Order: sequence, then C-alpha cells, then structure tokens
Amino acid sequence: MPGIARVPAILVASLLAGAVTAGAHHSFAMFDQTAKVTLSGVVARFEWTNPHAYIEIDVPSSDEDGAAAHWTIELGSPSILLQSGWKFNDLEPGDEVTVEISPLRNGSPGGLLEYVVLPDGRTLGNGPGRGPSGGAGQ
Amino acid sequence: MTERLLCCALSVLCVSGVAAAQSAPPDISGVWGPYRGGRGGDPSLAPPPAGPIVLRPEYAGPWEARRASEEDAIARGEPVATPAVFCVPYGMPTMMSVAVYPIEIIQTPAQVTIVAEAFSEVRRIYMDRPQAGIGEVPPGYYGRSVGRWEDDTLVVDTVGIKDSVQYQRIPHSDQMRITERIRLLAPDILHDEITIEDPVVLGMPVTYTLAYRRMPGYEMVEFVCDNNREYVDEDGVIRMRLGGN
Repeated sequence: MPGIARVPAILVASLLAGAVTAGAHHSFAMFDQTAKVTLSGVVARFEWTNPHAYIEIDVPSSDEDGAAAHWTIELGSPSILLQSGWKFNDLEPGDEVTVEISPLRNGSPGGLLEYVVLPDGRTLGNGPGRGPSGGAGQ
Repeated sequence: MTERLLCCALSVLCVSGVAAAQSAPPDISGVWGPYRGGRGGDPSLAPPPAGPIVLRPEYAGPWEARRASEEDAIARGEPVATPAVFCVPYGMPTMMSVAVYPIEIIQTPAQVTIVAEAFSEVRRIYMDRPQAGIGEVPPGYYGRSVGRWEDDTLVVDTVGIKDSVQYQRIPHSDQMRITERIRLLAPDILHDEITIEDPVVLGMPVTYTLAYRRMPGYEMVEFVCDNNREYVDEDGVIRMRLGGN
C-alpha cells in the first residue's frame, strides 16, 4: 500500500522530540509491526471511543463449512483519527471492508490497524503519518 | 495655573499610558499543537534539544536499571504497564506534551487555564498570587501553580506534585519545583521552557523546551477514557482484551 508509513507516527514523534513527549496511553510493542495481515470481512461493531477506537470484524472462513473468525482491530483515539480524515460514522455494522493490520504477537485474533478500505472505496489509515492524509505533529 | 494643571494631567495620562503598554501581556489564548519545525515549518522555531537528566547517585542506578528493564520488555514485545495504560492522567509536567494531542490555553488577567486534550487534563495558573509553602499544598497531579508576566514571558511556578506523577519516570521528592517560561517566538509559535528542580533527587535541574503551533479554528475533542481494553496480566505485561461477538 503506497504512502502507508510502517512505523507509528506517535513512536517517531517521541524519538524526534528527544523523549520529552509522552507516548499516548500505551506502547504498541504488543503488536508485531514487522508482520502484516490482510483481512476481508463484515463489520460487527465500530466503537468510536477513548482511549482507542475499535473495529470488530467477522472474517468468513476459507472453508465452505467453517465458522467465521472474529478479529478485534485497535485504532488510535478519535482525536488522532480525526486528524487523518476519519469521521465517527465512517463504518457501520454490516459494512464489508478489507483491513491490513499488525497482528498481536501472542497469536490472538487481534491487531493494530494499518489501513482500512471502506465500502465506498476510500482508504483510511490509523492517524497522522499512518494513512493517506497528513495531520498534526509538524 | 491652567497650564500647570494641563501639564500635570498630560503627565499622568502619559505615565499611565506607558504603564498600560508595559503591562499588556501577549494573548496566548487558543489551541496549540506540537511543533517540531518539520514539514515546511521553520527549524529555527523548533524547540532546542533537551538538557541532560542527571540524578543523584543513590537514585541514578535504580532509575537507569528500570529504564533498561522497560526497554528490554518493549524489545521482547511485552511492554510493562505505566499509569497511562490504566487511563491515569499524566499530571505535571508530562501533560504539557502527549503524542500529537493539542492543548488549549484560556487566558484571563487573573487566571490562565490549560486544558490538555489527551485525558482531558486541566491545570489552573493563578496570576499574581503568592505561592504557598510546599508543605501546605496537598500533593496532586497538577499541584498549585502561580504565574506572573515578566515582560512578554509568562513565568509559572508549580509545587505539590504527588509521588506517582513522574516525568520520564524520574522519582521526585516533595521538594520538587517546576518553573515554566512561556512566550511567543512568533505570532503563532509558542515555547514553554520547563525546568524541574529537586535538590533531593536531581544532581542538576532538568530543563527542556516544548514548542507549539497555533491551531486556529480547532475544536478540542472529547477524551473520556470509558473503553479501555488494555489490561495487565499476571506477569505485569500489557494485553489487549478482545471484543468477541
């Protein structure tokens, strides 16, 4: 995906600022940001909440009779997302989407959003520097 | 006689006019986001490098060991918990710079109020009031702040920060004092030079500068931490609670 930064903007900001800037809420080290997983499925819930927004997504099994797998995708906070072009109602239950995530290191079905392709074709990232739009932190 | 009265009146007007001009502080009200001089910005307005952090020997060893341990944990992908993981506010002085979140300054002659968007933290700076003795301020996240204008610089003195509220996870004593020098470097660029003094823990004051850019028209975003999915497992490692169906 061209234009998608591979390192969280928050992490970069902290390093450039000589660590005088606090990170937001928690380290992202629980996610393996060297690995990327692409999932296509149906949105079960979209939670526009703090300290993070979440997409709950059901991913159909590749086997005909297999059960759908449920994944939990963590995003930045609403403030961070607004700075990269998101709106609170960009996703609704039932929407068919494709997401790329950095998966949890422990193998659980969860991850950190890299980008999502919405039903209308738009692609949204996960905050300034992590998606198609720029933002704060000049 | 009339001339003398007129002369006196003009003098009074003149003197009071000069005093008013001297005492009119710059207007720093508004929303301010972090500024680092990049992306087309002016590097000369970026914050200078932070000064060193020097702890007294009895504190330096444990602090450095803890930092090393936490960095190892992050490298393993098992970060340990910090207060922020539990949505505990950062407090002073960390709240003045959290990731890319802005702050809002509301300036009146008697009080300057600063609202940080991350975690909706609020601090109040009481203008031209005497500071209380350290022992009289109940320890808290923001302590007690008093301010005064020195020409174009807002000088703020803060005491009374509780033990658990730490900058860079540096321990501190009740003698810690934070001094800020806040001023406009350009109409839309603000600097806050922060100095932390603690004769018990620090070998020398810690000084660093934060830079902000004005964000005209920005509406502060609500930040109520009511969906915290992060938790700490029995090994002290941060985990994410999965949502389920």
